[in-house]
Amino acid sequence: MADSHTFVLPNSGHNFDAKASKMGMWLFLLTELLLFGGLFLVYMIYRYLNQDAFLLASFELNVWMGTINTIVLLTSSMTIAMAITALQKGNAKLAITLSWLTILAALGFLVIKYFEWSSKFEHGLFPGMDHFDALPLGERLYFYLYFFMTGLHALHVIVGGVFIAVVIRMIKKGKVTKERYSLLENSGLYWHLVDLIWIYLFPLFYLIH
Amino acid sequence: MAEKEKNTETTSAHEHISSYAEHFGTWVALILLTLMTVFISTFGADLRTLTVATALFIATVKALAVALYFMHLKYDAKIYTAWMIVVMALFVFFLIMVILDYITR
Repeated sequence: MADSHTFVLPNSGHNFDAKASKMGMWLFLLTELLLFGGLFLVYMIYRYLNQDAFLLASFELNVWMGTINTIVLLTSSMTIAMAITALQKGNAKLAITLSWLTILAALGFLVIKYFEWSSKFEHGLFPGMDHFDALPLGERLYFYLYFFMTGLHALHVIVGGVFIAVVIRMIKKGKVTKERYSLLENSGLYWHLVDLIWIYLFPLFYLIH
Repeated sequence: MAEKEKNTETTSAHEHISSYAEHFGTWVALILLTLMTVFISTFGADLRTLTVATALFIATVKALAVALYFMHLKYDAKIYTAWMIVVMALFVFFLIMVILDYITR
């Protein structure tokens, strides 16, 4: 390890700073919270202005699929948190297995999401389809927000899964280790954020009843 | 504390390692809260206005559990919690401004 008084070339690979990288990750995550926060404000106003239409439109969603997806995401959050514990304790093999389980859950989430979206397409409930265009404004607004917000969330699920896959590769190469686990920790933080956002999306879109 | 931090600067940001049992416990709590919120909204439909508030309250409890335990905020340096509070305050400020805008039209 380099002594703090020694000069190190930038980007030479010897100026590793776990604290700074974690702070950077957190700052980024806070901007993500505000991004979704803005969308939640839009949702709040349109729901307030179209209460009955939002209720009616929400019946198109399948509560049970949403519940299963919530459980899948919560479980994946636990496995990635455990992966960090495993690596910190020096068990790289277990950390890799738990990270793979997280990716598997991410794929499961996306598959369920795919079935949910395709059943909407079959019912003509996508902007631009005849049935959708004939709906009252309030219900159209609900589906605009539903597709945009769950779509943006699904994009985050994909990014999070790729991030964790990259980290798995680096654990295998020995670049992320018991002493240098901050990349795994950061991918975990990102993954928990994805979970955090879904925790609010789920009741707001599926549980209006 | 300062001595400790100096030592860990080049290795890791903290020494606290959450146990598997703690993560599992958090998960159990999150699943129970999820089932609770689904149950309330599906079978307690007569509570109409209450359900929105209840659902958001339960969601917030879940979000806190994720942030404090899974995201390790409880054991990390206080700066992360402080940032989180600032951002949440900012969001509440936006929320209040938007509400004020709509009710004064």
